[in-house]
Amino acid sequence: MTLDITQVYSQIEAMAGELKSHQAEFARKLDTAVATLKTASANQSTLEKKLEKARATWLVAGLKEDMGLRRAAPACPPDFIVSASDGSHIDVDRHHSARLFLLNLGLVHIQYGSRPDAELTTVPKLYFGDDVIAIRSADGREELIQGPLLGIVRGVEECRCLADDVCASEAALPAVGLIDGSLIMWGLVGQRFEDYVIEYLLDKGLLQQLDRFYGLSKKRQAAVASYISFPRSTDVVNVLRLQVCPYDPVDCDRHCKGKFEGRECDAVGGLTDRAVFDRLLSEGERSALFVSTSSIIERYGVHRVCFFYVKLDSEVARVEVPLWVADKEQLLDLVHAVVVDQCKKGFGYPVTLSEAHEQAVVTGADRQQFWDLVDRVMQEGDLSVEQSLKQRSKKVRWI
Amino acid sequence: MDIDKIAEVVETSNSEFVAQCYELEGVPALGSMVKTRGKEGDIYGIVYTSATHSIEPGRRITARGHKAASDADIFKENPQLAKLLCSDFHALVVGHKHGKAVYQYLPPSPASVYAFVYSCKPDEVRLFTQSLNFLSLLLDSKLPVATDEVIAAFLRYASRAHPTPQDFLVGAGKELAWLLSNDIRRLDSILKRLTQ
Repeated sequence: MTLDITQVYSQIEAMAGELKSHQAEFARKLDTAVATLKTASANQSTLEKKLEKARATWLVAGLKEDMGLRRAAPACPPDFIVSASDGSHIDVDRHHSARLFLLNLGLVHIQYGSRPDAELTTVPKLYFGDDVIAIRSADGREELIQGPLLGIVRGVEECRCLADDVCASEAALPAVGLIDGSLIMWGLVGQRFEDYVIEYLLDKGLLQQLDRFYGLSKKRQAAVASYISFPRSTDVVNVLRLQVCPYDPVDCDRHCKGKFEGRECDAVGGLTDRAVFDRLLSEGERSALFVSTSSIIERYGVHRVCFFYVKLDSEVARVEVPLWVADKEQLLDLVHAVVVDQCKKGFGYPVTLSEAHEQAVVTGADRQQFWDLVDRVMQEGDLSVEQSLKQRSKKVRWI
Repeated sequence: MDIDKIAEVVETSNSEFVAQCYELEGVPALGSMVKTRGKEGDIYGIVYTSATHSIEPGRRITARGHKAASDADIFKENPQLAKLLCSDFHALVVGHKHGKAVYQYLPPSPASVYAFVYSCKPDEVRLFTQSLNFLSLLLDSKLPVATDEVIAAFLRYASRAHPTPQDFLVGAGKELAWLLSNDIRRLDSILKRLTQ
């Protein structure tokens, strides 16, 4: 049966009414947050000492620049390269006897300036076989690559594909590689995956690819960055929570255990970083640089993830860069300039990322065609093809 | 590499073929003659419509030149556009060649898919249009564009391949007068469009 939208309509109306009633409180909190940021900026050394001693229950950004910094977008170089990668996948189908998955990577390479050129490519890769579709430890434990883990594997391959392209690009030109989403492997945070999986995906996966960019940056002006549209992060707002916290040292478990509202820091609670910087920044400006303090970042070494917010025509985005980019003004300015320019060309979103997405997308029809092809080729090769009866019942909708 | 080819057949049938150009907006003129290959030999067609559009059907071209000084600047600042757009044209089949003989009726088989397409040289046009037997094929075609515009454009184009264009047009006019003897209005409309 289809969704009865008439039943849902009144519930949606009620939701809108409740959200509207929160608007005034949101505006007050935002005023408080902006004022708090300005105060923090004026007394940043005091705040930094407070942060060092703090034991907070939230993820609090590390400070790298004056919190109140606003930097206008520099001009792009006369000739430069922007590459971007994105991907999609066809997951393992547990209702199918063939154990395989497919990654579809989209890569876009655009050269701007006196010799404009573009290459848009799509690279599908099929993975099958016991050696490939699982991550194995030296002592024989294994984790099947499927579901959320497959998404993380895909992210590593997107970065590899991007590194391949940027490393092969014209050496004389500045180059920026853009990735959609975060450089922080949030999927690995927590106890969900064992260390051999994290080592495979992060140390021998993403970080190895970032090493390639780092090595390249020593020979030419080349950087890598990730772009997050409509970020929901609160790392910087959490710094403001600590700023307004009356306790020193800050210790949430000791002073506010069991409390979820009515605390002094709730004066800025419920806000996102993007709301605060939307108020503070003008179009094209970037915020100060911050450092992520996520636990997984401890393994990142020289690629420790830093981030800034940038205001564009229609939203505030979060841009993440490795520490070695953040520490080099020329590279940071290049990333800032390129991101702003890309968003202008892409009607609010980096055009290379949106085109990479277009190259990578796998539609429902593509999926069906893929599995039909797998079945046909296997049958032609006299290989047995089994499906679960549940899967078969979905294909033939009987009464 | 064959530098004279301008396009490649991407759709084909007995009566027409669609060709995608190698160069964006590199479409041959309306009414011009092109040739391609079929199983039996060369196939001649007359271009009756052309278009430039997004390669992917679901994506629309969006205006980008609000701050650009020229349309060339739009492509310079957005190099990916040239890879996302394509130009193609439709040609009505009006004849074919088998050995050395040229026939002004439909070939036994359609043009081959991926066959290269060339603009006909003036000599080829002149030779083909020494006889206008195929005009009835053109007149009777149900094209999605104004057929009479295509006929007039073709005759103007073909006349330029002849040593005395005006004589060719007079001859074409006489042929049309006989074919359209019961449709004077249509005849008059086409003849008025033959003025160079």
